[in-house]
Amino acid sequence: MSALSLYIHVPFCRSKCAYCDFASYPGREGDWRRYFEALWGEIDAWAPRLVGRRAVTAFFGGGTPTLMDAEYIAETLARLRRAVPFAPDAEITCEGNPGTLTPEKLTVLRGAGVNRLSLGAQSFDDALLTALGRIHTAAQTGEAVRMAREAGFGNVSLDLMYALPGQSMAQWRDTLDAAVALGVEHISAYSLIVEPGTPMAARVASGAAALPEDDEVNAMQRHAVHALAGAGYGRYEISNFACRGFECRHNLVYWDRGEYLGLGCAAHSLLEGRRFHNPESLDGYLAGGREEEAQRLTAADAAEETVMLATRTTRGLDLARWEREFGAPFRRGREAALARLARGGWIETDGGFLRLTPRGMELHNAVVLELLEDTKA
Amino acid sequence: MSYDQSRIRNFCIIAHIDHGKSTLADRILEKTGVMKLRDMTDQVLDSMELERERGITIKSKAVRMPYTARDGREYELNLIDTPGHVDFTYEVSRALAACEGAVLVVDASQGIEAQTLANVYMALDHDLEIRPVINKIDLPSAQPEVVKQEIEDEIGLDCEGCPLVSAKQGIGIEDVLEDIVNNVPAPKDDPKAPLQALIFDSYYDNYRGAISSVRVKAGSVKVGDRIRMMAGKCEFDVTEVGAYLPLGYSPRESLSAGEVGYIAASIKDIADIHVGDTITLANNPAAEPLPGYKPVLPMVYCGIYPADGADYENLRDALEKLRLNDAALSYEPETSVALGYGFRCGFLGLLHMEIIQQRLEREFDLDLVTTAPSVVYKVVKTDGETLFIDNPTNLPTAQEIDWMEEPMVDAQVITPQEFVGAIMELCQDKRGTFRDMKYIEGGRVLLKYDLPLNEVIYDFFDQLKSRTRGYASFDYELKGYERSDLVKLDMLLNGEQCDALSIIVHRDRAYPRGRSIAEKLKEAIPRQLFEIPIQAAIGGKVIARETVKALRKDVLAKCYGGDISRKKKLLEKQKEGKKRMRQVGSVSVPSEAFMAVLKMD
Repeated sequence: MSALSLYIHVPFCRSKCAYCDFASYPGREGDWRRYFEALWGEIDAWAPRLVGRRAVTAFFGGGTPTLMDAEYIAETLARLRRAVPFAPDAEITCEGNPGTLTPEKLTVLRGAGVNRLSLGAQSFDDALLTALGRIHTAAQTGEAVRMAREAGFGNVSLDLMYALPGQSMAQWRDTLDAAVALGVEHISAYSLIVEPGTPMAARVASGAAALPEDDEVNAMQRHAVHALAGAGYGRYEISNFACRGFECRHNLVYWDRGEYLGLGCAAHSLLEGRRFHNPESLDGYLAGGREEEAQRLTAADAAEETVMLATRTTRGLDLARWEREFGAPFRRGREAALARLARGGWIETDGGFLRLTPRGMELHNAVVLELLEDTKA
Repeated sequence: MSYDQSRIRNFCIIAHIDHGKSTLADRILEKTGVMKLRDMTDQVLDSMELERERGITIKSKAVRMPYTARDGREYELNLIDTPGHVDFTYEVSRALAACEGAVLVVDASQGIEAQTLANVYMALDHDLEIRPVINKIDLPSAQPEVVKQEIEDEIGLDCEGCPLVSAKQGIGIEDVLEDIVNNVPAPKDDPKAPLQALIFDSYYDNYRGAISSVRVKAGSVKVGDRIRMMAGKCEFDVTEVGAYLPLGYSPRESLSAGEVGYIAASIKDIADIHVGDTITLANNPAAEPLPGYKPVLPMVYCGIYPADGADYENLRDALEKLRLNDAALSYEPETSVALGYGFRCGFLGLLHMEIIQQRLEREFDLDLVTTAPSVVYKVVKTDGETLFIDNPTNLPTAQEIDWMEEPMVDAQVITPQEFVGAIMELCQDKRGTFRDMKYIEGGRVLLKYDLPLNEVIYDFFDQLKSRTRGYASFDYELKGYERSDLVKLDMLLNGEQCDALSIIVHRDRAYPRGRSIAEKLKEAIPRQLFEIPIQAAIGGKVIARETVKALRKDVLAKCYGGDISRKKKLLEKQKEGKKRMRQVGSVSVPSEAFMAVLKMD
């Protein structure tokens, strides 16, 4: 049976964070019920098309999936299990935000089969949390982790952010230390991306918020790699670190170009050689919009995506698999670029994998561009 | 109207730019009734979009107008429009040679300007009857009496009773026409002599082929005649002759001595028609061509390349089309290591160059990369051979060169007195040699300098404008070649020489130019994976250096819920940006960088 990953989007939040431009809609409590009913309808509609598949991972992302009654998630999982069989060891993640969790919710989630909890901690500095527009405090994050343990979660992840306006290296160091001290299995450390149209972008543009210099950002990132390695968290992707065996299998599917079905508003899919997604807007989704901008991927698209995604992981790009998939050695036509990049210390090749060095990862876009550059030649 | 030379008046209008030449021409057309008010778009003669926008005439045109004068007689007025810019001086001189008179338009508040004088001197050279007209008398700042006095004092023209007009308001137009009828001499050409027709313009018509605009100076020509181009040495059969109306052709049986019109002869290539050449009849040729012919030679060259290499064919087609109408434009294919396939194009001057570039971009929707303009240098090699070099890349090595010469111009600047110091400083900076200074009416000064053309095409106009707040006017004429200490300045990116950035400069200018170009390149070249040294060098010796620092950070932190579209979009954008860049060795150079070099400080 062919493996499938499931992504389920929950587009609700208590309030919008200053940097957020994803599909999340605060103040739409009245639509929660309608939304989940539409979601369940979508799952039922997919069921006949998923025959012969087996779910290996599922991921509830948001938004804040822990905002509402956990029964919604439990019922959604039950419907999914009816639509497609789950592997016995399936990784089932639910994102959640400290401040929205209760022991009761966590018990329901765990009971429904959720076995991985990913918490949006972002920082352990309350002033920075306020500036980001988060609704929780550092203490609540610690409390959330303890509650998760008590509810029986053996795989907990924290999302952290750096390169924040006004954030010092010392603050970042403390945040990493605090995350490590909580003994979680997985840590994601994301550099802030200022998206156009967000309050954060306006603050930066007006000079109210100053972003750190590139060198400072690199220093924070290097410190994260170093400190987390020392604490037993290996880097397995540009922004992701885990204790051995706790790498997020769901996210690895994205980078490996495995198949996944996205359900709910704004959810993206890669299925049967096509990429498509549901409407970005809640109302568009509620109105029944599905499978928009479907694009059948050509071999060239697939090759380009492979370069772009596989190089994000520390495992790297599987050269033998490339040759199988695209019928030519990866080196062909890229000799000059590869030599140049290797000489510069941005890439390395061993054990049949081409991977970016830590320095190369800091310049991932530019390196990928070089690797694509010769594709057409 | 039957043929009667005494009723013909051939005239042109000369003026400094902006003094209202085109508007006056429009009013004249309106007054004589060849254009109805409702047919008029502003400035009929300036039909090309660019001409209208810039308020200058690029090509010569001629229009025939019947006019019944106050004496009750009907006259045939031929208005020959002349190009209004220094780049087209030769075309202007040929148009003047086709006339007996010139209407000199002077702005009632601006008075005499550099081009006014240059045009007047040229008209005097052609023995034209110059009829001053004071324009824009409706403006509050108009001082017609002062300007009249200035014309009398400076040019020595009698302004007694000269028409005071406002072309814009349509005031005094009839006075101008009467003045022309009464004072511009009728042609006194011999209709019985062998044909001599002066070509003062040429252009391409899709149905008639390349057409000559002519003034018949002797004899006559009719359909079916076999004509010979006396300098061009080729022969054609006449398919049509006639006069021009503002909106089209008016075919006639023949054109005779004293008349102005066109000759069509199924000529495919406009290069067969040389402005200034004489047309005669093959079976009854004139003994001598009319005087004054000289082949038009481009003075300024630059490389024009498509920003996207795939547009090469489109660029070639576009140049071919422009060349149909513009014999002064020359182009031939060239290749650059940095820019790929493109064309070396020759122009009459900077304005001509700009016009062609803009037409290529607007009318043909092409994205271009142009290299720094170069003049034509004369190189005398140690083995005695003489070369003319229009592309720095083709310059022989310093060891092979005995000496070099550069083209010089006679320049005249007219300026309010307060800017004399600034202009002298500028001309000094530009390696100019002072020739003369004269005080003229209105507290202004006429300055004459010899200037190297390569300094004029650099940033002279911009500098002049900014140092005199636009009050000075400038005019120049090619003078000849002078020996000069010139060197080739090369730019190296990451140690690789970039051919498209090489220029030829005077040795004394090499250091500041090299430093300035290196600084410009530093700004224009985006950070890349590795550090990029930028060097300016003469013969391998580095004289200036800048560095584009290596990229520090360029990474997208995450993909949201399997949505890789953001990352893909970013990548597409970067790929698109990269496609528009040129590879110089391992360095990606944006197209704009090549242009940035042209724009100085």
